[in-house]
Amino acid sequence: MAEVATKRPRWIGKSMPRVEDLRFLRGKGRYIDDLKLPNMAHAAILRSPYAHARIVRIDTSAAERLPGVYKVVTGKDVAERMNPLPTFAVGPIYQHLLAVDKVRYAGEAVAAVVAENRYIAEDACDLIEVEYEPLPPVVDPFEAMEPGAPLVHEALGSNIAYSRTFTFGDVEGDFANADHVVSARLRWPRSSAMPMETNGAIGDYDEGTGTLTIYANSMNFTYFQWLIATSLKIPASKLKVVPINAGGSFGSKFFMHKVPTMAGFLSMVAGRPVKYVEDRIDHILNNDHCGSDRYYDVSLAFDNDGTLRSLKIDCVDDYGAYLQFGTGTHGNALAQVVGPYRIQSVQYKLTAVLTNKNQQGAYRGFGSEVNNWVLERMVDLAARKLGMDRAEIRRKNFIRPEQFPYKIPTGNIYDSGNYEGVLDKALKLVDYEYWVGERERARQEGRYLGIGIVTAQERSVFSSTEFWFWFDQPSFPVTSSPESATITIDPTGKFVVTLHSLAFWGNSPETVVTQVVAEEFDVDPSDIVVTYADSQHALPGTGPGGSRFTVMVTGALVGASARLKEKIKKIAAHELEVSPDDLEFSEGKVRVKGSPDRALTLDQIALKAYMFRLDLPEDIESGLEASYTYDHPYTTLPSADRKDLGVFYPFVGHACHIAVVEVDPETGQFTYHKYAAVHDCGTVVNPMTLHGHITGGAVQGLGTALFEEYVYDESGQMLTASFMDYLVPTAMDVPRFDIDHQETPSPYTPYGIKGGGEGGRMMSPGAITAALEDALEPFGVRITELPITPSKIVGWIQQARGGQA
Amino acid sequence: MAEKHAITVTVNGRLYRAEVEPRRTLADFLREDLNLVGTHLGCEHGVCGNCTVLVDGKSTRSCLMFAVQADGREVLTVEGLAPNGDLHPLQRAFWEHHALQCGFCTPAMLLTAYEYLTTRPDAGTDEEIREAISGVLCRCTGYQNIVTAIRAAAKQMAPSP
Amino acid sequence: MKPVAFDYYRPTSVEEVHALLASHGGGGKILAGGQSLVPLLNMRLARPAAIIDINRVAALEYLHANGDGLVLGALTRQQSLLENRAVAERYPLLVEAVRYIGHRQIRNWGTVGGSLAHADPAAELPVTMVALDAEITASSARGARAIPAREFFLDTLTTALEPDELLASVRLPALSPGTGWSFLEVSRRHGDFALVAVAALVTRDEAGVCTDARLVLGGVGPVPQVVEVRDLLIGQQPTPDAIAAAADVAGAVIEPASDVHATAEYRRHVARVLARRALTTAVERAGGRR
Repeated sequence: MAEVATKRPRWIGKSMPRVEDLRFLRGKGRYIDDLKLPNMAHAAILRSPYAHARIVRIDTSAAERLPGVYKVVTGKDVAERMNPLPTFAVGPIYQHLLAVDKVRYAGEAVAAVVAENRYIAEDACDLIEVEYEPLPPVVDPFEAMEPGAPLVHEALGSNIAYSRTFTFGDVEGDFANADHVVSARLRWPRSSAMPMETNGAIGDYDEGTGTLTIYANSMNFTYFQWLIATSLKIPASKLKVVPINAGGSFGSKFFMHKVPTMAGFLSMVAGRPVKYVEDRIDHILNNDHCGSDRYYDVSLAFDNDGTLRSLKIDCVDDYGAYLQFGTGTHGNALAQVVGPYRIQSVQYKLTAVLTNKNQQGAYRGFGSEVNNWVLERMVDLAARKLGMDRAEIRRKNFIRPEQFPYKIPTGNIYDSGNYEGVLDKALKLVDYEYWVGERERARQEGRYLGIGIVTAQERSVFSSTEFWFWFDQPSFPVTSSPESATITIDPTGKFVVTLHSLAFWGNSPETVVTQVVAEEFDVDPSDIVVTYADSQHALPGTGPGGSRFTVMVTGALVGASARLKEKIKKIAAHELEVSPDDLEFSEGKVRVKGSPDRALTLDQIALKAYMFRLDLPEDIESGLEASYTYDHPYTTLPSADRKDLGVFYPFVGHACHIAVVEVDPETGQFTYHKYAAVHDCGTVVNPMTLHGHITGGAVQGLGTALFEEYVYDESGQMLTASFMDYLVPTAMDVPRFDIDHQETPSPYTPYGIKGGGEGGRMMSPGAITAALEDALEPFGVRITELPITPSKIVGWIQQARGGQA
Repeated sequence: MAEKHAITVTVNGRLYRAEVEPRRTLADFLREDLNLVGTHLGCEHGVCGNCTVLVDGKSTRSCLMFAVQADGREVLTVEGLAPNGDLHPLQRAFWEHHALQCGFCTPAMLLTAYEYLTTRPDAGTDEEIREAISGVLCRCTGYQNIVTAIRAAAKQMAPSP
Repeated sequence: MKPVAFDYYRPTSVEEVHALLASHGGGGKILAGGQSLVPLLNMRLARPAAIIDINRVAALEYLHANGDGLVLGALTRQQSLLENRAVAERYPLLVEAVRYIGHRQIRNWGTVGGSLAHADPAAELPVTMVALDAEITASSARGARAIPAREFFLDTLTTALEPDELLASVRLPALSPGTGWSFLEVSRRHGDFALVAVAALVTRDEAGVCTDARLVLGGVGPVPQVVEVRDLLIGQQPTPDAIAAAADVAGAVIEPASDVHATAEYRRHVARVLARRALTTAVERAGGRR
């Protein structure tokens, strides 16, 4: 990487329009539902109307008789022919593709129909008779923990899937010695990534070879392909997963297991290609990855001068009926649990509870966005207690630039940062002094203007220890999370770059590749084409998740480029009769340093490499291609006693969001005066696309904070199971953002890049909560739960006034 | 199964004759029968607007209209926005201003903006643009760059003075 | 998410519609703009045997002046109400209300008759038509009858239409000179159905004395809720105190329900707030000439 650092980047850092866009702008995106195979059938799923019930009997005969129906399958077929679905759960928490014996949430799949088209498949679902014996559902996680509560998984003997307290540093001492302690109960309800495209897959089983091909919009199929094969009871070598562009993921397609497995299984039993694409209600009720669903008791200890000392967190997380991703979302929180502050000790208690709801998984932030919200709520409480300005209490506690790399109490490392620089930029961008004055003026006029400030972390590039350091004896202590790239220069000198996980879900993998390869070889971006390997041809990959892709694929590209450049230089050196060390890449050529006229173009070298074997040095193989698998550059193992979790998320970005709002206390509605965001995620590869992540992520965070919620009634029925009630924000419901960057490169990554993919969702829930609370300060309202709706705001004001409207 | 109906529909300037079941939605007709898969289904219950096409020039949720209702009408889909692989000024502006990420809502956004600019060639205020596109949900962009792109396209499309 | 199979009819005359409705005996469902019906079909929550598509009945799509009033054919598109000069001049209340209806895609196809016949208690047009004292014409093979809008809505999604009747037109009577208006609504997102909607009309004489007042609320009960405020306002200058008293009546008489979007208490509270604001605006627009 030394070579890179000495050159002024030409393509890295440029707002290059995305190379991905031209197909999508023309409606040629080739999403999963756009693909058709000859003889392809369509599937529909019959789902449980009960949250908890025993399946007594299923009669599929009428459905099977319907013309156009090819196959109907139930849990019985699945139990006979498949293993349970992949899971990170420990203990007997088994999930089947179709419910076997009992259903554990409303919307769980009970039977599947394969038919000529989706209309007929749904007609057939209507004809399936299922006799259920309803069981008492357990919906509230606290009731679920009571002795005698109905059990979601009888074999587990309890609904508590996991409970443990971790202590990092002298928590009791720090609390005893602190001048103040503030405490709060906080509630972060379940929402979901809700991409505009649902999950989908096409299974295509070849009876001749016994090979199953699954086309799917799943993100990291290379990492998990062997687990899907295990579920399907076929050799991994005979399962080919082909990645298809995804119409949004935000985590929700990260480890998609239900839909690809369903399409694959149905193709095997129906003997023809089968497409299954969730409809929106399938997706809301049954998607693989709902967001966190947490109840917190939190205490923060601090001193008179505003010094934050210690943090105690007790979290109950309502995981729903299955534990696909284990408790990794809390590992994520532990990566940055103290935020940007020099908090010296932390206690973290997690209780993971099973209830009769759909499962949790990944949603942009992966649980650390929740911790950001919680911590920032607590810092505001401390500021209020001390009468300190909320910007100043943050500034006072920031880890200082000279303290990096900085080890936080849990053991994770923050690589670099300049938090005060970000704060100052944000205060200037929003014109903080002006709005503080406006707030005072407004209050005198009886208007309710509020300012919310969040300074929070965006850890990036996960390493996989966060999935298992929870256990003293983990069953699968994985430590790899690699990413690969293959660079091919064809005989005409053009580049084809192959990626090895499905990186496209709306981010910019092809643009990143183009910019990095153009930088590495100093070639024109239009000479670079990007393609995706299927799982039978793929090198190790992990896919985009935890804001890892740009850093990891850049590492892989830099590695592959180095290998390929070495070969090119060898050939050129031979031709030009100079030492390889005297050569450099410039404008599509390899030239002799200091004598730019002595040069070969890449197409001259490429043609030589492919077609003129006898002109080459003897140790050179024909062709011009190199691959590189880049592993996480900085991971360490946790200590045996788990008092130090090791380094597991060390490239840590930072951002400050400031929202200015004005509330109408009579209706609980509000308007935005201003919303400013300044992010620092190291070296910026493409400012324009990073802006996109910040605005899009911030809007998703505002959705979580203000609009979106999975609401279940006491019988476990979901009351927000359509887009009429699950409220994704429209263009009219969100502010305009003013955005700026600071660049503090990481010392550990190629080019100094940190991940920025989770963007604004890490910060905006905290900023809007704080702004609304500040606006309602004259009433003394404290906001401790999301989503913040007009109905709740009016209720809180009335409560604060003692029931007076 | 209900009786099929013969229909004649003009899509992107081309005349199609087909026999359809009454319950077949216009969206499914376009996607499955005509293979015009640029029209995307996001919810199929008339909220997300991702299936928006123009029917007789009017923005229309193609999941809420049956193909049989389009008989005798003219439909414009994203595939018909620009001929011969060119880009319409709106498409170009969306590209230059990074107004798409996953691209799933993009065809609907383009057609919605197309209708809007025919009634409001100067693009109006940001608030008006936001109101105009509020019937199409986008989960990626936060909408800001879409507003910018529509304004930029309006400038491009304005007749030169 | 696909509908069940149905038979499809596309009449071109009102007489044909009448005949089809009569022959299907309640099993036939009128398809107008489809913006409410088709989601229900797609989700299989509605499973009619036959769909009677009235979109090609040209005789139902019109907007006629009627003295100083207007008559709207059932198939009048909601968007056209925003683009019609006579509507803007005579019924600015209607324009204000229609702006709250969904989004352009919905208004392009959604019809006046469809919204009224669907009778969603949180929809804008039923509230507005009750406030405007509209008269709905129901027609069938048996003949036609006029139903005052305030008697038309019987319950949630239930109207006074008989199974064989078509909602043919809506007649809007002329508003008295000196009538001010206001339509206000609170919803979770832009374009959503109302948590609470309020339509207010206030008429004042040249001295500024209130001569008529109408207040109708939506989203707070099974049907548009007429709040009787004339006793509190007529015959005097509509002062802020009088308006507040009228608004309090609105809060007191309604029986709203709670749902995932808002509590009943919130709806009651906001009904009072919006009633006060709407009446205030209507009073101002009525022109307090003294």
